[in-house]
Amino acid sequence: MWLLAVVIGHVVLISLQVSAPSGTGLFEGVTVGLFSEVQRGVARGVAGVSGFWHGYVELRSVQAENDALRDNVAALRFEVQREHALAQRVRGLEALLDLREEVSYTNVIARVIAGDPTIYFRTLMIDRGTVDGVLRDSAVVSPDGGVVGRVVGDPGPRAAKVQLLIDRNAAAGALIERTRAAGVVMGDVDQGVLRMEYVSNLLEVEVGDTVVTSGMDGVYPYGFVIGEVEAVHQGPGSSLYKTIQVRPSVTFSDLENVLVIVRGPASSMTAASGR
Amino acid sequence: MKTAWVGLGLGLALAVQTTLVPMVAGVDPPVDLVLVVVVAVAVGSGPIAGLWVGTVGGLLQDALSGGLIGVGGLAKTLVGYLVGQLGARFMVVRPWHQLLVFFLASLVHAGCFIGVSSLLSDGGRMTSYGAVLTEAMANAAIGVAVVGGLQIGPGWLGRRRLRRRSMSSRFSR
Repeated sequence: MWLLAVVIGHVVLISLQVSAPSGTGLFEGVTVGLFSEVQRGVARGVAGVSGFWHGYVELRSVQAENDALRDNVAALRFEVQREHALAQRVRGLEALLDLREEVSYTNVIARVIAGDPTIYFRTLMIDRGTVDGVLRDSAVVSPDGGVVGRVVGDPGPRAAKVQLLIDRNAAAGALIERTRAAGVVMGDVDQGVLRMEYVSNLLEVEVGDTVVTSGMDGVYPYGFVIGEVEAVHQGPGSSLYKTIQVRPSVTFSDLENVLVIVRGPASSMTAASGR
Repeated sequence: MKTAWVGLGLGLALAVQTTLVPMVAGVDPPVDLVLVVVVAVAVGSGPIAGLWVGTVGGLLQDALSGGLIGVGGLAKTLVGYLVGQLGARFMVVRPWHQLLVFFLASLVHAGCFIGVSSLLSDGGRMTSYGAVLTEAMANAAIGVAVVGGLQIGPGWLGRRRLRRRSMSSRFSR
């Protein structure tokens, strides 16, 4: 009797969400809001222990690392100088062509406090929410500019759930940077690999090409790196599209901090389509 | 009192599952600690307890996960009830009996979850067979350890308390 009642209850609950995606917003919001505080506490405790470990026990390797970083900084200074000159030139050309729309993004740094509790989905929890301006569908990128995913569900005041790009339900509008071939990058079940679909067989794509966001999906701003083409196959039979495997630029299992873009994608889309 | 312990166990399982397990194992957690708690409670306390713990644990897990709320709840409710029925009819005492129950319960849970999800979406394959088998084996190993700990723990604590009491009474004389 109890079993029947509970099973019917579950079926009704699932049906509510299928007909209206916000069917369980309150339950989800309260659970995420309350449990994120526990997760935040555990994450802080673990970060404290790990910080102690990195701060004191691994101090021995700091000198060598410092020397290597100094060399890197010198090389990067040169790169920045070169990019700065290039940017100046582009700005001059834009002014010449009267392209004044400037796309600026506001972002907040968030700490990853939890992962997905199942093997079926790939999400993570961050310690920023509506108080910090995080909204549903806010894009999330790694500190070095790689696409991580987007905020799903209604974020809590101090926490939000992020669907990783490698989740089977995730997708992003994408471009092959070299040839501008457009398609859609989707998550896959296979460990850490993405697939790019709807790229015409007639377009040129090579292994090693960089895949970036196209900005046309209204979620991810234009130009963020998704990954690198790992394999390209002609579509099976009379298929019009190639089968492309993409290796993500982000190592999803090592994420500690991310950037949430709280303003910008809509304007980038308008700008992209307006040009 | 028992309900409070079960609630604490579920909370702890969820906290460890979402924080420590991803830190160690990455984005694909190879174990479902909530399911371990559900099966452990169902074996020890029967089908109705298994059903309710499965419902609550599954729904909370769904809310923190990326899928529809209720799919995991339904799968864990069914598993909790079935394992409870099994525990009420057979003696699940030996470790290898428990190992088998945890392993099969994990497979049934995966079957229910993937089956219901497939009915609701056409998103293709949800996970690999390897991941399901790995999770079932990890659940079985951890489940046997948890049940063993729960069986040995209270007796060990009682003996320790008695020893302390006898020591303190010997010194007070």
